[in-house]
Amino acid sequence: MDLTALTSQLLVGLSRAMILFIVSAGLSFVLGVLRVPNVFHGSLYMLGAFVAWTVATRLGEGPGSLWVALLLAPLVVAAVGLVIERTLLARLYQREHLMLILFTFGVMLVLNDLVKLAWGPDYRSVVPPPALQGAVVVAGVAVPRYNLFLLAVGPAVAAALWVFTHRTRVGKIARAAAVDREMVAVLGIDVSRVFALAFLVGCYLAGLGGALVAPTTSITLGMDHTIIIEAFLIVTIGGLGNIWGALVGSLLFGITQSVGLLVWPQFAIVFPYLAVVLVLLVRPTGLLRSVW
Amino acid sequence: MLTAAAQERAPSARRPAAWLALAAAVLAAPAVLPPFYVYLGALVLVMGLLAASLNLVLGYGGLYQFHHGVFYGVGAYALALTITRLGWPAWVGILVAPLAAAAAGWAIGVFCVRLTRLYFGMLQISLGSLLWAVALRWYPVTGGDNGIHGIPLPAPLHTLSGAYVFIAVTTGLAFGALWCIVRSPFGATLQAIRDNPQRCQVVGIDVRAHQLLAIVLAAGFAGLAGALYVVLERSVFPTMLFWVLSLEIFVMCLLGGWFTFSGPLVGAALIVVLRAFAGRHTEYWTLILGTILILLIFFMPEGIMGFVGERLRLRASGGAAARRGVAGPDAVGGPARDVTADAGGAAGSGTGRGAPAPAADDAGGAEGARG
Amino acid sequence: MGQVRRGLVLAVAAGTALAVAVAAAGVAGPAPRLERNIKVGIVDTYSGPPAVFGNDALNGFKLALADINREGVLGAKIEFVTRDERFSPEIGLSMARELVLQERVDLLVGTINSATALAISAFAREQRMPFIVWISKSEAITGAKGHRYVFSTGENTAMAGKALAEALAKKGYTRYWLGAEDYEYGHAITNSFWRFTKRVKPDATLAGQTWWRLGEIDLVPYLTQIMQARPEVVFFGTGGAGMANVLRTMRVLGFAARVPAAIHTAIDHAVLRPLGPNAPEGVFGTIDYLFYYPESPANQAFVRAFQAAYGGPPGFPAFHGYITAHFIAEAYRKARTLDREKFIDALEGLRIATPVGPVEMRPCDHQAVLPLFFGVTKKTPQFEFLVASDIVTIPGPEVMPTCDDIRRARGQ
Repeated sequence: MDLTALTSQLLVGLSRAMILFIVSAGLSFVLGVLRVPNVFHGSLYMLGAFVAWTVATRLGEGPGSLWVALLLAPLVVAAVGLVIERTLLARLYQREHLMLILFTFGVMLVLNDLVKLAWGPDYRSVVPPPALQGAVVVAGVAVPRYNLFLLAVGPAVAAALWVFTHRTRVGKIARAAAVDREMVAVLGIDVSRVFALAFLVGCYLAGLGGALVAPTTSITLGMDHTIIIEAFLIVTIGGLGNIWGALVGSLLFGITQSVGLLVWPQFAIVFPYLAVVLVLLVRPTGLLRSVW
Repeated sequence: MLTAAAQERAPSARRPAAWLALAAAVLAAPAVLPPFYVYLGALVLVMGLLAASLNLVLGYGGLYQFHHGVFYGVGAYALALTITRLGWPAWVGILVAPLAAAAAGWAIGVFCVRLTRLYFGMLQISLGSLLWAVALRWYPVTGGDNGIHGIPLPAPLHTLSGAYVFIAVTTGLAFGALWCIVRSPFGATLQAIRDNPQRCQVVGIDVRAHQLLAIVLAAGFAGLAGALYVVLERSVFPTMLFWVLSLEIFVMCLLGGWFTFSGPLVGAALIVVLRAFAGRHTEYWTLILGTILILLIFFMPEGIMGFVGERLRLRASGGAAARRGVAGPDAVGGPARDVTADAGGAAGSGTGRGAPAPAADDAGGAEGARG
Repeated sequence: MGQVRRGLVLAVAAGTALAVAVAAAGVAGPAPRLERNIKVGIVDTYSGPPAVFGNDALNGFKLALADINREGVLGAKIEFVTRDERFSPEIGLSMARELVLQERVDLLVGTINSATALAISAFAREQRMPFIVWISKSEAITGAKGHRYVFSTGENTAMAGKALAEALAKKGYTRYWLGAEDYEYGHAITNSFWRFTKRVKPDATLAGQTWWRLGEIDLVPYLTQIMQARPEVVFFGTGGAGMANVLRTMRVLGFAARVPAAIHTAIDHAVLRPLGPNAPEGVFGTIDYLFYYPESPANQAFVRAFQAAYGGPPGFPAFHGYITAHFIAEAYRKARTLDREKFIDALEGLRIATPVGPVEMRPCDHQAVLPLFFGVTKKTPQFEFLVASDIVTIPGPEVMPTCDDIRRARGQ
């Protein structure tokens, strides 16, 4: 195994981990605050990619079109998420988790077909903004500028999340609700609005992940399937509801996947699963403290 | 609990005749029905057995068995491989299938029972996915993505009606065995663990051992269902071990009612039949399934059999309070009711019953106080 | 040049043969009438990403039926019913059973999914039901797992691998690199390519190989690794969404300017069109149908009719669907009965006129003998997406594995 191959695998693992982190942080946040294992989180990610495509192509060739798409798409997705939360999900918070899983699975099935109705089954693709096209050579390894951009966005999102949860009032309330929602309610705080906001943030992150991944891959139906199972495994090994756990889990996941390909390409798909098994056997509730 | 026991005794006299009539009707199907309906019937029985086996751990055990499809796949591959690679007789393969699946159930369960709830489920998905990867990637043995097709079977199973009769008899026996397991002291303990694991632990029950045994048994029945699928379709595919199928089995249990014995079979029947007919008219089948699922959770959270059972019980108790339960549950077809009676009796009817283990953890204190 | 001329001679010969055959049939007396319409059962994927191909094939099939039913087949029409297998072999097999047992179709047609195609093929054999595979590219369908009841009207991995092996060998490359997506199709086409390369160019060496997982988002490290190794040429085994990813990454890295690369169906407009200006120039590709080549009257007429009916140019699945309908109609005309065994006898060795010239259904393996087109991607002012240029036609007989190969694969 030569060093260049390893370096470039590590780099790809890292930039993949950033996307995984953004998506799974949203999932984990919802899981922590609302206690909802949101299976349609992956559909929102897919929706984000499709909306980004629509915005970018509507705006045409201009250099700023993808930037607008990156701003707009997560907002659209967050709005869709909020509607689902207010009209349906908010009535089900008292139900047990299995019911919530099945409910969100039902929404996932519906959303998938709605995306198909709206966009059709064709493959789509988006061009990165001109400033992020092409590749730069780092330590003898060609890295596309867009991947470097992702490597910067990931920590930025993490920092923003930290500021939100630690420095804003709603963020602190959300964190408190994650630990003890009854106590928060007793304090006279409208828990329902906190939940709505937390869900909005979670959906925003799913949409952001989808919009960010759009220029690096083919936008297709079915891209939700892969991401949702990976996101769930990541939040599990990280510690349910712990967004820093999502970061650790994403890094572990992204890197084992990439390096696994160098070690045993034929069975590379098993490496992330193996990592999850090992983590859970050693630490049954994930690497970091779970709020569950 | 006394009334539940009384309900139990009253209709049992009429039962054998009803069961015999049902068995005769099921077995006579190939003679009367067009072949496609015979095929659908067989598929319903196979999927029904699969869903019922999941329900042993999900509904009765309260475990987050997220990747039950793996055991179904292991059973199917076990039969397919014993015939095509080892050249053993199919009969041996049909015996090997549930054993192989049970072994897989033990290997996966022994790790999973150390965890709880979502962690249990996610570990199971990870371990199950390892087996899925083997089926998908070990091309020389499993046929990889393409699977194995045209698996030769001995003469009696070669025709559709032969396969149907074999499937009907086998699933009949398997349902009987499942029924006995649920009704055995082991089954009762399992449900007690579901409703309150802490209390069971305190009174000296080995919770993990019971849960592991339930997983092994359920896996064995799932493996049998997998073997029966091969008898019917003569094909195996790696997608049988993929997590999407596992979620579908989950939906079947919910749809029919996971606190009832017959619920999973009813749910499987509905899904199989709906899929066969909706698929003709629309490519938006998942939209339909998703909508049904959402509506169900809002309006019939205990599934169809749970809902029917509830209605009949309500009517019976409203009409003739003194003799309640004699007319109602009998009409539903006995098996539906007694689990709900057990669970309902323990947790207080209506409110607490909808909650297996997960909520029991949260509401453990309250429930303990009530009991 | 020689190839083209030979193709022309073949076409003329085939045309004459067809005319003679038709005349002979006319002489034989009044054609018998079929007692009822012919019913075709189609199982394919109409939901999810592969629906692009499923719908395209169905459109080609419907377009052909419109013509066929206008004049009728022995006084009857061809009807069809479709079933959506949702890219799941379990569902596909179940649907095929329903079509046979309940809808009582006369033959089955499908599908893009190789696993489903093989499953239905095993079922069709047991039911003695003709089954025509029209998109799936697994060479096992008419190769190792072939039998009397299964046919294929599309090219397969053996044909594509052989065509690309020969086209690249002619360019004089000797140091090869193989890069592929780690799934069934990736393995099948890569193995086939390398098998035939070693056969036609014994001095070819393998500089290395790279595999990545199906659905891999980021291909940069893999392609960088290959660029740094500087092989003379790279063969990529990928398709569908994965192919779009390979092409996009090649463009980002300026790959093709440094290392020539070849991919089967890289010149497919279904792949190139969504990429628009994002596709790389200079990539070699093969395909069995292009709507802009050959510029023959037959092809232009087909493209015009298709465009008028469906608002876009036909892709290769549409071509497969189109010729499948014509194969079915011609076979029934020749068999003069709805009897399935006679239909199969009629289909074996049947030769029909198609937009790319005459195509024969080879009797030894039931595989349509299709020419493949080899070209290189290029920007043109005519289209908004890249198209193939410098196209070379590789005649059908040259891309087919021999009947001996087939017999060996079937263990006979």
